[in-house]
Amino acid sequence: MLWPVKKVTWKVILAVSTFSLFNTSSAFAEVAIVVHPSNASSFDQKHIKKIFLGKAKSFSNGRSAILISTSSKDPVTDEFNKKVIGKSSSQVKAYWSKILFTGKGTPPQEMGSASDVIAAVASNPDAIGYVDASAISDTVKVVATF
Amino acid sequence: MKKLLTVTSSIAMLVSSSAFAEMRISGYGSVIAGKTLGTVDDPLNPGQTRDEILTADFYDVGQYDNDISIKPESIFAVQGVMDLADNFSVTAQLVAKGIDDFEPEFDWYYVTYQATDDLTLMAGRRNIPMYYFSEFSEVGYAYPWMRPPSNLYWWQVTQFNGISALYDFEIGDYSNTLTVFYGNEYSDDNVEMLYYNKLYGGNARTVNEFWTDITGMNWNISGDNFDVRFVYFQNDRDRETIQQDGSIDPYTPFSQTFIGVGGNVSLDQFTLLFDVNFVEYDDEVGTEFPTYLLSLVYNWDDYQPYISYSKADQERTKVPTEDLEEHYVLSYGVRYNFLPNAAFKIQYDKFVDQGDKATGWAYHGDARAISLGVDFVF
Repeated sequence: MLWPVKKVTWKVILAVSTFSLFNTSSAFAEVAIVVHPSNASSFDQKHIKKIFLGKAKSFSNGRSAILISTSSKDPVTDEFNKKVIGKSSSQVKAYWSKILFTGKGTPPQEMGSASDVIAAVASNPDAIGYVDASAISDTVKVVATF
Repeated sequence: MKKLLTVTSSIAMLVSSSAFAEMRISGYGSVIAGKTLGTVDDPLNPGQTRDEILTADFYDVGQYDNDISIKPESIFAVQGVMDLADNFSVTAQLVAKGIDDFEPEFDWYYVTYQATDDLTLMAGRRNIPMYYFSEFSEVGYAYPWMRPPSNLYWWQVTQFNGISALYDFEIGDYSNTLTVFYGNEYSDDNVEMLYYNKLYGGNARTVNEFWTDITGMNWNISGDNFDVRFVYFQNDRDRETIQQDGSIDPYTPFSQTFIGVGGNVSLDQFTLLFDVNFVEYDDEVGTEFPTYLLSLVYNWDDYQPYISYSKADQERTKVPTEDLEEHYVLSYGVRYNFLPNAAFKIQYDKFVDQGDKATGWAYHGDARAISLGVDFVF
C-alpha cells in the first residue's frame, strides 16, 4: 500500500467537495445540429449520435455524412458531447483516437469557430455540424436542438 | 541529436508530400517516468537480491527498476493518411519509442480500400487484433490506465503483415463490425525472446520468432452504453534460437488458438472494462493460458480514478502440474484530462508473481512501481 488508507479517504473527500464547487459553473448553451439546406434527411437524437460516433456512415437520403465539429476549446463542444453523445469531451476524444490510430475511421473535422462550421456546412451538401444555437444563420438548416 | 534530426526530417518528408496528394497528419504520444520501489530475492538466483523489475512493455522489454526512467514506455508517433482517391488511401505510422532510443520505425503501413459504405479492405502492416486493447495498446490517450495490463499483453509478436476485411452492419439498434484477417509475422531478432534466453543464462546470438498463417476474426458489437468484441484466431508457431557458433537449437513447431471476449460497459458514471482470453497450444504438454482483466473507472468531470486487476496463468492439460507461470497485477491510479487533447496519469502497480520458484517459472519476481506522465493526441 502506497499511502495509509485513512489519509487517502480524506484527500478524496476534499477533492470531491472541491470539484462539486467547480461543477456549478458549467455553461448551459443550446446546441444546434446543422446540415446543408438541401439535405432533406430525417434526424433523431439516436441517429445524430451514431453519425457523430462514426457508427452510422450515411444520412437517410443515402449520402455519406461528412462530420464537422467546432473547436474543442469551444464550450459548445462539451455541451454537445454531454447532451447528444452522453460522454465527456475527453471520453469522446479517447474513443476517436482509438478509431483514428487503428485506421477504422476519421473523426469530425475540427473547425476554428462557429462561423467556420457554418461556412463548411453551407458549402457541402453532405456535411453535418453543431454550433451554439445563438450562432446559426440562414445559410444552414437546423435539424435538431439540444 | 542525430536521431531527433531523423525524426524531424521524416516528419518533414511526410508533411511536404502533402503538396502532391491530400495528406492528413495526426499523432499520439506519451511521456512517462517511472520506477520500482524496492528489492526482491532474485527468483532465478536464490540468495541474491535485485531491484524489483516491472515490465511495462513485454514486446519491447521496457522495464522499470529502482532508477527513475522515461525510457520503458515513452513514445511519440506520427500518422500520415494520404488519400489517393475518394475510396483509396495509404496510412503510415512512424513510431519512436524510448526503449529504442527514440529511433523511429514505420510500425504501421497499409493501404485501405473502401469497397462500399459497409465493406473496408486493408492490406499491409498492422497490429494483430488479439486482446481488446491490442490494436491501440500504444495510444495511451485512448484508455484510462498508464498501459493495458502488461502481464496479459505479454506476447513476443504483436504485429503482422496481412490483409483484413471489415464489414459493418446493424442488428436492431446495435452497430456491428465483422473483421476477418490473415497474415504472417517473421520476427527476426525478436527482442523479448532474446531477453528470456539471456535471463535463463543463455548466450544466443539471436532468436527469430515466426507466427505464420495467422487466420481469424473479430466481431464487434456496440450499443448506447457498451462495446464488446469477440476474437478468434489461430496460427502456426516456430522459432530459431541461433547460438554464437551459428548452430540452431532444436524446436518443435506447433499451432495456437486464441479466443476471447472483451470490451467496456458504461453505467452512469462508472465504466467497467474487461477482457477474458484463452490461448491453447497443440504442443506435447497441452499448454494453455487463461487470462483475464477487470477494471472499474469512475468518470468524474475531468478526473478518472480507476482500479484494475489482471491475472495470467499457465496450465498443462496433458501433463497436469501447478508448478508453472502465474501472476497478477493490481493497479490503481487517476487520469486527469487537463487539456482537451492531453491527460495526466499517475499509477501504482503491484505485480505479484505466483509462479513456481523451484522450476524457474517465477522469473518475473514481485514488483511495486509508480509511474506518472502525460498522454496526448494531435
